[in-house]
Amino acid sequence: MKTRVALIAFGIGFGLWGVWLMLQSLEPSQLIRLPLWLGGVVIADDFVLVPLTVAVGWLVTRWSIGPDHHRTVGAVRTTLLYVGITTLIAIPLLLRQGKGANPTVLPRNYLRDWLLLEATIIGVGLVVFVIQRSRLTLRRSRASSGDIGGR
Amino acid sequence: MKLPAPPTEDSFRSPLHHPRVATVIGRWLAAAVVICFLTGLFSHFVQETSAWLHIPTRPASLYRVTQGLHVLSGTIAVPLLLAKLWTVYPKLFAKPELKTLLERGSILVLVAAMALELFIGYLNTLQWYPWPFPFKQTHYALAWIIVGALLVHIAVKLPLIRSHWRRTTDAVPESLPPATTGLTRRGLFRTVAGAASLVGISTIGQSVPVFGPVAVLAPRKPNVGPQGLPVNRTAHDAGVFRIAADWRFTISGPQQLSLSLTELQGLPQSRSDLPIACVEGWSQGAHWEGIRIRDLLHLCGAPASSRVRVVSMEKGGFYATTELPPEYAADPLTLLALRLNGGELALDHGFPARIIAPNRPGVLQTKWVHRLEVLS
Repeated sequence: MKTRVALIAFGIGFGLWGVWLMLQSLEPSQLIRLPLWLGGVVIADDFVLVPLTVAVGWLVTRWSIGPDHHRTVGAVRTTLLYVGITTLIAIPLLLRQGKGANPTVLPRNYLRDWLLLEATIIGVGLVVFVIQRSRLTLRRSRASSGDIGGR
Repeated sequence: MKLPAPPTEDSFRSPLHHPRVATVIGRWLAAAVVICFLTGLFSHFVQETSAWLHIPTRPASLYRVTQGLHVLSGTIAVPLLLAKLWTVYPKLFAKPELKTLLERGSILVLVAAMALELFIGYLNTLQWYPWPFPFKQTHYALAWIIVGALLVHIAVKLPLIRSHWRRTTDAVPESLPPATTGLTRRGLFRTVAGAASLVGISTIGQSVPVFGPVAVLAPRKPNVGPQGLPVNRTAHDAGVFRIAADWRFTISGPQQLSLSLTELQGLPQSRSDLPIACVEGWSQGAHWEGIRIRDLLHLCGAPASSRVRVVSMEKGGFYATTELPPEYAADPLTLLALRLNGGELALDHGFPARIIAPNRPGVLQTKWVHRLEVLS
């Protein structure tokens, strides 16, 4: 209990220090608009990004109930997740492509690089998918040929 | 038409919305937050150059490592935060109760502050500022609010964290067995760790040149720029358009010296291999040649360990005048650099003269220096 009380005391102290710093360094007009941004990111997280992940996860799980799909669902899910997270990180780069403060900021061709990255992720995902499926077919053919080792 | 009922806590059937999963991913996220906070704090104090705090000049590449870690831990916190929010998402739909009001309030503060912090931090590495408040001050204040809210969150959840710190086996599976859904807890941990690694590997190349070619999501390429070095503020942005032929460098101490560029070039030259390490996380090593600051101090009759004010010709900006603490002025690696990577400094790199010192953020490596003032 002592630990928890100490944690809460320090937590509130640090938090208030942060609020004080904020009040010191931001002008009233900026302080008024800051909560809009804080609220905006919560909406983006809790009502856009996470529901999207939940929805896609639900669809993938539903699809995985189909015959033999549970063997390959791992590859499908991981590929979708990796494509999603790298695209999320890439969005600001794609939006600001060519608009860097000077030519050394954002010097890459981000559209090409992003497409290459996604193609690589999907390519690797497909290879894993095919391997997982062929293992399945192999097992089945061994099982049907009466091989005890197969299932 | 009747609207569908809103989801409740029980609408989410995946067994992965579990305290054990939240504990494990929470630990990873907390590690990223702690690294990010401490390296950020270090960067803050290095930039402050306050008289009471002595920052060592060695290791020379310390700031390069800490700031690279700062941006890396912040970037990989994005997938970790999303994974954590996904795990505990059903809690958002739990019935509101009076006794959990404080807890939920602290979580709201934590999520809002952390999501905004990561968002503005990442956009800062692109030098993109679409928000109506100052980046540096907001980023710093939010960091304290995050750490505070995190401590309260840990305190509230401590019994739950303790009971799920180690792996437990559920006697009764709460939902479909993993064999059907295809994702075990361990599988989820591997996938999340993979996502964080993927994001890390595709961005770290801006600070670690070895990973440069695969840094497809990095806002910088460390070798792109005049003389193989990126630029944050160009001469044009700083209002330095041309250097007059009769340009002179002055140093005021016990004696006042005024030197032309040719006279500076005639003084004993030293070499330093030092990186430019920027607050935005990118860094690149370079070969510098110029006059040691302590040699210049000696010439004007000041001790090597003097506090020195560095005055630039740049117009506007927060760093037109900076201070070099005594231990930095005395360090043999600290130069008034005239040459970079074998050539005369490019105008964008601070021609005719700039400061280069070990273990310092790029913003304090003042360019277009035309005056040094000995303060003590």
